[in-house]
Amino acid sequence: MKFDKFFELAKKAGITDCEISISTSYSLEFSLFHGEIDNYTSSSSSSYLARGIYNGKMGSIGSDVYDKNSAEKFVKAIVENASVIENEDPVFIFKGSEKYHKINTFNKELEKIPVELKLEKLYELEKKIKEQDKRVIEVETVGYSESKSSSTIYNSHGLKLVQKNNFYVYYGGAVAKEGEQVKTGFDIAFGNDYSKFDVDELAKSIVKETTSKLGGFQCDSSTYKAVLSQDVVKAFMGAYISSAIAESVQKKSSLFVDKLNQKVASRKVTIEDMPLAKTVFAKSFDDEGVATKNLPIIKNGILVNYLYNLTTAAIDGVESNGHGAVGGSKVDTTTWYPVMKPGKKSLEELFKEVGNGVYITEVSGLHAGLNSRSGNFSLQSTGFMIENGKVTHGLDIITVSGNLVDLFNSIIEVGNDSKEFASGMKCPSVLIKKINVSGK
Amino acid sequence: MISKKLAIDVLNEMLATGADYAEIFAENSRGYGVSLENGKVNSSSTGITFGAGLRLLKDNRCVYGYTSDVSRKGLMELANSLNKSFKGERLITVSKLEMIRSKNRNPILHSYEDIPLKEKIDLIREGTDEIQSMNDPRIVRYVGSFACNHKSVTVFNSKGKWFHRDTEFARMAYSIVAADENGMETSFEGPGCQMDISYFKDKAKPRKVARKAAETALMMLTAKECPSGKMPVVIGNGWGGVLFHEACGHPLEASAVSRGLSCFAGKEGEMIASPIVTAVDDSTIPNEWGSIDIDDEGNLGEKRVLIKDGKLVNFMIDDFNGRRMGRKGNGSCRRQNYKYCPTSRMSNTYIDNGKSTLEEIIAATKLGLYAVGFAGGSVDPTTGEFNFGCSEAYIIRDGKVCEPVKGATLIGKGEEILKKIDMVGNDLALAQGMCGAASGSIRTNVGQPTLRVSEITVGGRGGELK
Repeated sequence: MKFDKFFELAKKAGITDCEISISTSYSLEFSLFHGEIDNYTSSSSSSYLARGIYNGKMGSIGSDVYDKNSAEKFVKAIVENASVIENEDPVFIFKGSEKYHKINTFNKELEKIPVELKLEKLYELEKKIKEQDKRVIEVETVGYSESKSSSTIYNSHGLKLVQKNNFYVYYGGAVAKEGEQVKTGFDIAFGNDYSKFDVDELAKSIVKETTSKLGGFQCDSSTYKAVLSQDVVKAFMGAYISSAIAESVQKKSSLFVDKLNQKVASRKVTIEDMPLAKTVFAKSFDDEGVATKNLPIIKNGILVNYLYNLTTAAIDGVESNGHGAVGGSKVDTTTWYPVMKPGKKSLEELFKEVGNGVYITEVSGLHAGLNSRSGNFSLQSTGFMIENGKVTHGLDIITVSGNLVDLFNSIIEVGNDSKEFASGMKCPSVLIKKINVSGK
Repeated sequence: MISKKLAIDVLNEMLATGADYAEIFAENSRGYGVSLENGKVNSSSTGITFGAGLRLLKDNRCVYGYTSDVSRKGLMELANSLNKSFKGERLITVSKLEMIRSKNRNPILHSYEDIPLKEKIDLIREGTDEIQSMNDPRIVRYVGSFACNHKSVTVFNSKGKWFHRDTEFARMAYSIVAADENGMETSFEGPGCQMDISYFKDKAKPRKVARKAAETALMMLTAKECPSGKMPVVIGNGWGGVLFHEACGHPLEASAVSRGLSCFAGKEGEMIASPIVTAVDDSTIPNEWGSIDIDDEGNLGEKRVLIKDGKLVNFMIDDFNGRRMGRKGNGSCRRQNYKYCPTSRMSNTYIDNGKSTLEEIIAATKLGLYAVGFAGGSVDPTTGEFNFGCSEAYIIRDGKVCEPVKGATLIGKGEEILKKIDMVGNDLALAQGMCGAASGSIRTNVGQPTLRVSEITVGGRGGELK
């Protein structure tokens, strides 16, 4: 096969175990501006990542191309890179798990739908966004993209694993104006079952995202009882569960150091990583070839598992739970599809329970305003006032601030309105005791 | 990797159905990165970026495709599949390609590829040794890293032009995690250049950079929570320029302006900033992180004055977006690599020097915030709303810099902030960053002298400023 030469040369060079992972992807994307296709992109690309153990250390090389000279080049780079590693952490090329769950992330039907139909829906989307509300002065963009990809792992232990997936995304952004106030909003719909795409629903949601921000003003700086929307919960949950990554815990730079089997959130909170759930994000093995499984991270407020790859698992003397993410010679750790278990109350019931407070619907600037190590955050936000159990007016130019640990411990109620995000997460709205808001 | 003969054939295939412009962007780049965690090398990796992007334009429509198969068959097939987007008669035939010559302001004198790995590692180790020598138990994790890239790009276009661009750039970075019984803080310093290794030996010295990062994280451990509310903010030089980058730089890119999706669209010639503000995007500064001699459309690098004494005078424009504006590109067309369709982007973008000294600005401020370090930020170019987080900040009381504060976020609207700048210092400095947008993550410098904004909304957890 294509990579025999690589495995052969690697062995000769003294590389004891080695592996090559191949990702191939085909994608198509087009967008409209003022009723015309203004951007059309199609691509086919491959990438190769070769890793190998030399004198007990891992070396690696990544490349977009594998040609007749690559086997030699790859082996040379692995030896060179492994030779300078000083870290003593154990490294592995994996022999394989006993069993891999079957997953279905490839939908043949998606490919059969003609591009013309997909484009027609896009024209429809643009028209419907414009028509719905007079305050919408511009459709910033509407677009469609689809991608088909496969990832394959071959290694010197004879392991061969293949995983394929495909999905589509429709997206749109609008600009709305009222008086001198201008606001933008954006939303997307995705999946790999095209028959489920509802153009009316997406158009409605984009317009709502945009126009609902109009008419807002700053509230007084104070501490408020609050409902956080699913988008906001997603942002905070992503940052909080990254604390469960074993490497950060081992290196004492996580909020969850010495917290296993202890309370890290209110008892209303259960978060599970679910790579085997029936979604487009499903994965049967991680980047190291370890079989994945659904794994609770926080159960009724108690931290029940850390997230491991082969190296960090060996350090703690446990088995990897399939969270390895390979980018180079060093293996990182990631989550696949974290899900917060929904509660029983509707969003309206949450508002009622707040009485007077705020409904925070968006936080931005997380890369700068949230320190996932200390848990402190101070973020630009948008939202609404809640008065007498009902949403009244919008809030403009406010920040919310607090600490992740406090926030997760102050969750009083979890909503029943779970939403799945294109970043591979699912969560409902929540009600929290208090959040600091800076406004006037 | 692509001969001129093959390029002409591919361009003509792209143009067969009526495109009015076609371009091939071929790339063969190599990168190397190493990192040392707590003093030990824990990662060393090589990367090869190889492939070609084909772009076809017709009026205001853009068609883009890329492939890592740059054989005749691979490129011709891609060209053929892309030209199906247009259904017209051929307008242009390319018969010859002439080379565009550009100044080489960032020559590769001593390639990083010729330097042994050990020398690169030793360089970073100087910094990690410095941190170790501080022997402070509060420093729980420190990572030093070094990354260098050789980017080799050849562009052919239907104007009958071609050029080749070889660039090398490198960046060193130190990130620190410090913790005590009260909490945990992080800091980051990452100088970079388009220059050989002498930059790190003579200018951005590893010991100095690493110590600065460590001291910032330790100092922030002692910081109190930042107060919130509206207050005067003195923004430090260098990294402080991220405010201008986010809040004004992005809305001045043709990608937003040409579609009327910028808060500055249609305002050329108007006063959009305080009269003491002059802002520049200059891709011609030798060896600087964001400099380019020639852009992806073959337009030469320029010094573009964007705002002159408060008046909006220019934008960053690429040829394609320039079509909607009736303007030609001014050397601003950039992309991360062949996998991205290029668009108008910043290079080295800064607010120019004013007359005040740092001391005068601080002394003139009775009660406010002095924001020195920033962790980054983001902006909505349509509304101009921005946010950015401070990684190092102090309270100014009675004209003196006092206690450090943490967790400060500055938010507001670019167009409002620009008008509220009431003092501009004379200590212009540039700082290196990576800017992410539609055409990927690219090298850009931000920069400014110390300046004061009379009022910004500050978010923080420390209650009212007293």
